[in-house]
Formats: sequence, C-alpha cells, structure tokens
Amino acid sequence: MASDTAKPVRRAPAGRTPRKSGASPGVVRARKVWLWLTRRAAFRNLGPFVPVVALWWLVAEMGVFDEAFFVGPPRVVEEFGDLMEKGILPGYLTDSLTRLAYGVGFGLAIGLPMGFVVAMFAKVRRFCWPILLFFQAVADIAWLPIVIVWFGFSLTAVTFVIVYTIVFPLMLSVVAGVEQVPRELLRAARSLGAGRTRVFFEVILPGALPSVAGGVRTGLGYGWRALVAAEIIVGTSGVGFMMFDARRVGDISQVFLGMAVLGILWYALDAMVLAPFERATVERWGMVRSLEADG
Amino acid sequence: MTALEITGLQKNYVDSYSGEEVTAIGDVSFSVNEGEFVSVLGPSGCGKTTVLNIVAGFVNLTEGEVVVDGQAVSGPGPDRGVVFQSHALFPWKTVLGNVVFGLRMKGVPRAERDAKGKEFLELVGLGGFEHKYPHELSGGMQQRLGVARVLANEPAVMLMDEPFASIDAQTRRKLQEDLTRIFEKRHPTVFFVTHDVDEAVFLSDRIVVLSKRPSRVREIVTVDLPRPREWRTALEMPEFREIANRVNELLVDDEGAAAGADKDPGGATDADGTAVAGV
Repeated sequence: MASDTAKPVRRAPAGRTPRKSGASPGVVRARKVWLWLTRRAAFRNLGPFVPVVALWWLVAEMGVFDEAFFVGPPRVVEEFGDLMEKGILPGYLTDSLTRLAYGVGFGLAIGLPMGFVVAMFAKVRRFCWPILLFFQAVADIAWLPIVIVWFGFSLTAVTFVIVYTIVFPLMLSVVAGVEQVPRELLRAARSLGAGRTRVFFEVILPGALPSVAGGVRTGLGYGWRALVAAEIIVGTSGVGFMMFDARRVGDISQVFLGMAVLGILWYALDAMVLAPFERATVERWGMVRSLEADG
Repeated sequence: MTALEITGLQKNYVDSYSGEEVTAIGDVSFSVNEGEFVSVLGPSGCGKTTVLNIVAGFVNLTEGEVVVDGQAVSGPGPDRGVVFQSHALFPWKTVLGNVVFGLRMKGVPRAERDAKGKEFLELVGLGGFEHKYPHELSGGMQQRLGVARVLANEPAVMLMDEPFASIDAQTRRKLQEDLTRIFEKRHPTVFFVTHDVDEAVFLSDRIVVLSKRPSRVREIVTVDLPRPREWRTALEMPEFREIANRVNELLVDDEGAAAGADKDPGGATDADGTAVAGV
C-alpha cells in the first residue's frame, strides 16, 4: 500500500509546477503534492516565511509607506551584499555573537546550579523565593544605567545584562522541572537501592530536563533580545548598534536588514542546536510530544 | 521462614484541611513467609496502599513494627522492590537500562548485570525489546518491565501496589497468568495489594482481608487451590468460587456493619459509618 501511494507523489512535482496542479487533474493530486512538500525539511522550515516575505514585498511595491521609511526585500538583500563586502556585517555579527556566547555561557553556568540548589533544598528555597520573584520583576534593561556606571561601555556591562536576563527564568524553570518529576519515579529509584546522590543524577536531573530545556530556550531568547537592547544603549559595535546607528543617519534598509539577521540567526540557532538536542533527549524518551508528530 | 512481619501497625495522620487527627490504620498484624504470595484486600479507602507504603519505607508508621528479613524497616531499600500501578519506569532509560537499574546501584559489573537483565526480560516475555524505550511499549509490556526490574534486583519481598488496575481487562488476565507462572517458577516473596477479589484468589496463597477505617485485619483466608493455576480451569473449580464468595462476604459484611453502626445512635463508629455510607 505504501508503494502505490508513494509513486504518484514522487512523480507529481516533475510533471507540473506543484502549486497550479490543484486546478484540473483533481484535488487528490494537489493533496499528494502538499503531503510530499510537508515532508521536506526545507519546506517545513522555510515554507511559512513565503507568505510573510510576499506580503512584505507587496506592501513595499504598492508604496503604502514612503520609501524612506519602508524598504522591500530587494533593497535589503542589496544592503546585505554591500555590508558583507565591506566586512562591516561580519565584524558586527562576530561582536554580537561573542557577547551572546559570554552572556549565555556565564548565564547557564550560574543559573543551572543555582536553580538546582534552590529546587533541592527546601530551606534555601523558602529564603530565596521572594528574592527571586523580586529580581525577576526588575527588567534587565532597567539595570543598564547603573551597569554602565559600574562597568562602562564594555563587554562586562553587556554580559552582565545578558546573564541577568537568563538566570532568573532559567532558575524558575529548573525549580518547576524538579517539581514535575513524578514522586513514583523517586520512590522507584529509592526502593531499587539508589541513595540520595544517585537519585539526583539518575532521576531528578533527566526528569527535570523537559522543563530545563524549555527554560534554556526561553533564557536564550531573552538573552538574544537583551543583547540587542544593550547594544543599542551601550553600543560601540554589533547588530543592535548597527540598527540604531542606521536610524540616526536615516538608512532604513540597515534597520530592516538588522531585524532580518536577528530573526534568521535565532532561527538557525534553534534549528541547529536546540531542536536537535530536544529530539535526541526528551522527544526520544517520549516525555514531550514532538511538534512534528501528530499535529 | 518469615520474610515480612508486621506487628501492631498503626498510622495516624493530621488532616491538613480540618486539622483533625485521623487514624487510617488501627491495628494490623500479619506475616508473609518466604516464597509466599500474600494479597491484601479491603474496602476502598481502607488504607491497604498505606500499609504497602509503610512496608516500602515511603511513609512512616505511628505505632508498631515492620520487620523484613530480620531487620526493622526504616526508609526505602533494595530489599523491598516496588511494582507501581503507574509502572514508574524511567522514560530516559531503555528497557535494558530500566531492568538493570537496581544492579547498577549495587555496583554489579556491566557484563554480569546485562546478562542478568536479559535473563529477567526473557522471563517476563520482553526478550528482544532491550533497546526500546518504555513509551514504545504497550501498557501490559510496561508493567512486565516493572516486574522484571524488581525481580532482577532479587529483593527479600516484592511489593505490588494494584499493578494491573490501569490495564485493560483482557491484558490483565494474561498478566495475572504470567505473574502466576513466574511465581511458580521462581517463588519470590510477594506482597500484593488489590481491590479485585478474583485477582487476589487467583494469585495468592493467603489473602489478608482488612476492615474499613481505621483498618484492622478482619480475617486471613487461606487459598489452597492447586498450582500451576490457569484462569480457564480456575474459574471452573468450585473451590475458587467458594473462596471468592467467602472473601466477598467479608467485604460486604463490613459495609453492612458500617451501615448498621450508622443507624445505632450509641455506636462508637458513628462518624466513620457516616463517612462510608456517604461514599
């Protein structure tokens, strides 16, 4: 059965352009083409952006906004080529990514252990919880004025803000993750002879992983945004600085380019690091439902 | 030889909502011999799972003593492996990883524990599934793994907390037969909690019938049906029905007594009777 459905599906795109085939040979064929397309990774990853870019292009072409305020995709691509050639964009990107790496590295190194300490020891938790909620509420950007006074316009200042942004949501998700480990699993491990340390490494750590992975994802996302915000204020270089500086000199295309670059980079990070990690762990173990499984 | 000895067990706890002290287990004493299959049965909410949790060391007792293999119980330990109703398998470990967990905790070398793990997987009919993850198994297979994981650890007593309650009726029959077969082959000591009378009669050597709260041992019924047992033949045996009826009467009697106490204005068990009648 699998083979006779697979054949026409594979032949379809070679025959006609997929999108127009729905018209005469029938709806069945169009559906098969659609099925074939949705199975391709490239289409799944990039397909959703087609209408977005089309709409952007359409709005730009129709001239709804003045060209000085709103540029279309061709202009942005051209700007991209230009800045790549001059070496400005690669330089700025390196700066931004270096800052992010420092921030995320320290953020994870501080947030994960602290999260587990707060989660595992009731006394520490009772003491720390109000403080955690308090500092979580003070926005990262709100720290910038004082951070600049302390560390100047430096890598330290930016790193501080990113670390600050990452640590709190990470700690909260670690606590939530430890709490969501089923009590029966802890009991099972204990009655199979695991001591407290073994229970932590063998049960609590992997059991908390779905929530922790979610926390890392959220934390990185926040960190990425905080980086851009910090670069706009502290900025001497970087993608955020580029966008803000371009606005000052009135070059809107660089602002658009910056936005596109930020989005693409985040998407790539997610697709190349975070998603594969989750596929290999929590999804493999059946602890969370895969996004692509049964919609 | 006695594998498990429960003497004068009592459990009180403070209801966190009303702040009242409640006696869940009044006075429970019985013992399980080595290589014996003993079921604990009682009306719903009588605290039979609490007895198991106390034996497992998950819950502290208020009065009395639980002795396993000559040692008083305090806290969970590998001498009392538990098979849970919810299976409680480690989702991040393969089938083999789950079954050798206890041996790994003991520090058994890899080759030896893998061989032993495979032997027990064969025993429960999971040979060839070593590298699957638990979520890839059916409910029945998951519980077989739960049993194998405990047996591979060779505990003094295997505690089973309504292990087949969440499994569909047909698979349950099959699992009960498999458990009997494994028991007849290996003779582990089993302490089995259930609310299913037929299941208890089919599996057990003796059945401890508890009363409603605060629970006491109402009677210990000996099941002297021949082994090996099979459902097909067991259901045709008049002795099987006789014992099942006897146990059912003990359970129903208890509910009746509770209703009677409810009507009696001077009854000491008034409050409890109302609670049971209200359920």
